[in-house]
Amino acid sequence: MLETLTTDVLPALQVMAASDESDARGIGLLFLLAGPAFYALIYFRYRNSHKRHHHEKETEASTHDMRATDTFVRRLTGLSNRTMRGANHKEVRGALRKIF
Amino acid sequence: MTDIDPRSQHPAPQAATAPPGASAESAVPEAAQDPATLAETIAGLSEPEGPQTIQTDAGAKDGLSKCARCGATDISLNVATGNLRCNFCRHEWQSTNMNEAFGLDQGIGELRGVVMGSGSADIIPSTEVVMTFKCSACGAEVVIDTDHSTQARCHWCRNTLSMNQQIPNGAVPDMVLPFKLPKEEAVRKIAEFVGKRKFYAHKRFRAEFNPENVMGIYLPYMVVDVNARAHFRGQGEHQTRSYTVKVGDRDERRYDADLYDVERAFDLHVNDLTVESSSQRLDQTSSNTNNIINSIMPFDVEHAVQYDSNYLAGFTSERRDTNVERLAPIVHTQSQDIARHQALKTLGHYDRGVRWDAEHVEVVGQRWVSAYLPVWLYSYHEQKSGGRSLLHYVAVNARTGETMGSVPINQTRLLGASAVAQAVGTVLAVVIFLVGG
Ligand SMILES: [Zn+2]
Ligand SMILES: [Zn+2]
Repeated sequence: MLETLTTDVLPALQVMAASDESDARGIGLLFLLAGPAFYALIYFRYRNSHKRHHHEKETEASTHDMRATDTFVRRLTGLSNRTMRGANHKEVRGALRKIF
Repeated sequence: MTDIDPRSQHPAPQAATAPPGASAESAVPEAAQDPATLAETIAGLSEPEGPQTIQTDAGAKDGLSKCARCGATDISLNVATGNLRCNFCRHEWQSTNMNEAFGLDQGIGELRGVVMGSGSADIIPSTEVVMTFKCSACGAEVVIDTDHSTQARCHWCRNTLSMNQQIPNGAVPDMVLPFKLPKEEAVRKIAEFVGKRKFYAHKRFRAEFNPENVMGIYLPYMVVDVNARAHFRGQGEHQTRSYTVKVGDRDERRYDADLYDVERAFDLHVNDLTVESSSQRLDQTSSNTNNIINSIMPFDVEHAVQYDSNYLAGFTSERRDTNVERLAPIVHTQSQDIARHQALKTLGHYDRGVRWDAEHVEVVGQRWVSAYLPVWLYSYHEQKSGGRSLLHYVAVNARTGETMGSVPINQTRLLGASAVAQAVGTVLAVVIFLVGG
């Protein structure tokens, strides 16, 4: 039950919320998920099972001798996704607790 | 877990002494950066000469630890001042700040190889956990259970015996961060946290909840400074245009973007990266609530003082039971996360994101210091159906007051409310489809 909730329902909700087609139909579909959404909201508020220490930003760190190279490759046109496919610059891998 | 570099050696407990604040002098040969090996690897430890030890318990004595003014042994932390206080004559004094004594906040850029506090040495499994001391006041034998404290009171003469010398069982760390938040304050924070989560809380929990049962506990951590070289290579996209196109009878959004090859290379200095060092706390799965304790980090470890068992009087403690070797992979992965995060500030141009294809974070030097950090912990054992149980925590960082917790849920009530929400949502959805569709 909970597994289903965290692995299926929440990502689905996120996708729907981020979707560009936030027309009446989208909102209508969102309402159809009111039950699981409410359950998840309360569950995470009470159990906080997704909370962790954000070591990546809460640890004091400094960079030195930064060397940057940026080389233009080409212009991409007609892309349908709003963000870069496969982007991983914000990834965090060292969290002890893995939720999703 | 296995170590990531077979070359890494771990210290046999040794008496090697480095002067306080000594920085590494051994030159480490630069690991040749072969671009072909710029894979998704974390660089290992490179220390040709084995770890260097900072002796942090020099002069420490076991047994009766007496007030310098009156000789009494009833000494404890005065939470209000952060000082140790003689409970007989009220004389107060301060322990030495760890950073000042050993220069732990300095020279991260000069770190080479592995430097570690003597209290961070590997645990030798055969070392006793329950230690017996002879009370020098009356001659009786006093037992200290190092799983829960490094102090005990002599039953006969009521003097307090302390263990301050580091023996290889993980009980005496290099440093301790004293409790700063008084118990009443912790009780108030826990009551407030749970008070906001009562309606859907488990019935039995609601009846039994009593924040006065909070326990002051020193939990074991490793505090690590890391000197690393980071090298990231990949591609990034910068949006140049956003527009709609007609696809059949509907509008769809399209984007144009400039694609770049992106490369970042930098030195990274990480100060006081803090990781749990008790195997129980490291186990963070969905079948426990250890993540709650994890989430109240960070602590102001720069205020930690040289270890003195008197700070534990009136509190309990949890012994460290893991070694540097086990924790090194976590520290390296987290350092890589920090490097990736630090690189973000140079990626502002790439509003569509960056995909790193090669990441290389080589740890050139690292400094490990073991610590007891203070936590107010409220625990509640939830008995579940089928004989299963779950230990819930509400934890308060006893330095910053940051509070987090897990409250057991009344599933019947929550499922009922969710069903009501579903019914209302369905009605609204139907209305929207009829009106808007
Ligand atoms: Zn005194
Ligand atoms: Zn005695």
